[in-house]
Amino acid sequence: MTDRRAARLGLVGALVFVVAQLTVGVAWSVSHDDPTVLQLTRRCLEREKGLAVEPPIGDAVAATARGGALRTVVEGNLVTISVAASAAEVERLHAGYAAPGDPGSRLDVHGRYVALWLREPSPTQRQATYDCAY
Amino acid sequence: MPTERRIRAFPVAVAAILVAEAVLLAWNAWRFDWLRGYDAYANDRYADIVSTEYRLPSEAESGTWHTPPLWFALAGALRRLADAVGWEPVQRPGQLLAAAAGLAICVLVFLLARTLWPERRLLQLLALVLTATSPALLRASAMYHPETLAVALGTGGALVAIRGLKGRMTIPAAVCAGALLGLASLTRAWALPVLAAVVAACALDGWRRRHWAPSVVVLGSALVLLAPWLVNQQAAHGSALAFNRAAPSEPLLDRRPASFYLGPRALRAFGHPVTPLFRNELLPHLYADWWGDWALTWDSPPPPAPAGLLPSTVVAERARQAWVGVVPTLLALAGVLALAILANARRSAALAVLPLTAVGVAAAYVLFAVRFPSTDGDTIKGTYLLMALPAAGIGAAFVVDALRPRGRAWAIATVCAVTVLVALQLPFLVL
Repeated sequence: MTDRRAARLGLVGALVFVVAQLTVGVAWSVSHDDPTVLQLTRRCLEREKGLAVEPPIGDAVAATARGGALRTVVEGNLVTISVAASAAEVERLHAGYAAPGDPGSRLDVHGRYVALWLREPSPTQRQATYDCAY
Repeated sequence: MPTERRIRAFPVAVAAILVAEAVLLAWNAWRFDWLRGYDAYANDRYADIVSTEYRLPSEAESGTWHTPPLWFALAGALRRLADAVGWEPVQRPGQLLAAAAGLAICVLVFLLARTLWPERRLLQLLALVLTATSPALLRASAMYHPETLAVALGTGGALVAIRGLKGRMTIPAAVCAGALLGLASLTRAWALPVLAAVVAACALDGWRRRHWAPSVVVLGSALVLLAPWLVNQQAAHGSALAFNRAAPSEPLLDRRPASFYLGPRALRAFGHPVTPLFRNELLPHLYADWWGDWALTWDSPPPPAPAGLLPSTVVAERARQAWVGVVPTLLALAGVLALAILANARRSAALAVLPLTAVGVAAAYVLFAVRFPSTDGDTIKGTYLLMALPAAGIGAAFVVDALRPRGRAWAIATVCAVTVLVALQLPFLVL
């Protein structure tokens, strides 16, 4: 047995192992989609908070959120929630909502989430959205 | 003349790599916040209790009570010394001890490669560089943690055994190997598979030569050092290999879901290799943590709370590490297999030590991870497998050296490729 032959056999064995693991990974990613942050948030708001969730039609800022956006009504207060993918995008969305005029405390930033409320949210309204943050 | 120059250049290159590694390890240990290392607070309590009260901590006093005491005794003594001279933080000398052990591992891996293939300088150099730039080693060397000392002692024991097995194993060599492996096991239980591998290799050699004494002496001298600890654990905690949590009662194979074994989200390790993705999926989780920093304890803000955002550079840097790790990982796996094949074909016990070590450590680790499942994934860490690093580094170097075409140009090309590999990793490796 030469060194070269042993190394070749070892390489073949290692390749088989790695390819097997990658095959499992590819098969999984083709057949499954991990839920996105938006999907997790929507599911939480619907199932755990019992809210009706819909797409934010007519909101030009929310439409540009890379993580997607949704709209719901919490305790009678309409809120549009956008999901950002980076801190820079949070800034951009915030600036987008603030451009026409300062929305004050109606605009709430919580980590990756930028929420625009129709009226100033109460603590319980705000908490309902925080509970569904991922 | 050119040959003479090359002969002189080799020790200079080795020395330069070791000096650079020493500076890097010391720098990282100095910069790394000791509290961000694994089990840092529990380790400090243990070291404090051992060095000031001269006893082992109880289960209530330190979460790492199950870890053997050697490193804690040394770190504790250094801690007292630092306290006496007013050095803050008092844990820093313990981190520097871990860094010194990290450097010792690099030296020992080089010596191992030199012992096995004295004429193959490129192989020796590659083994040294691949080990010295292993992210798992560099991270562990900055922590206030016993892992690197255990690996250094275990690798020292393996080196003495391999030197003995290359010729005819003498009793003094067997005593020395056993003592080093006993001390390693008295530092971390992960050294036990290395002890088993060395004893098995010595037994194989003994069987061939009808000379059993060395294997018995290796085991005996290790057990002389280790037995008091094991007896204490058995008496005090009901198991010689007790862990800081009880194992679930269900059958072993029911303790982990299929995803633990299959690693279905393996591809995510190349896009977003940080917590909480693919948590508890053994291979992707281990791979991401070995090459990067899955749990975000290295040069990054702590893992964000729900809704929190990680800086994009943190994820991008770890994703780059995951891509960089593909070829070396493949080579390391190939190397361990190749050494096993070669050892079997040549009936060489000396060659068998490293693959036996790697297989033993991997098997012990999988058994541990299955035996003690955890929802937060804290029993899956790349540093737990550091004991297999010498086998992986030398194995990878062996495959590269065996398969590369001969000639100076190819040697230079190999060195250039390794230099690129190192350069790509430097931003992550230097704190």
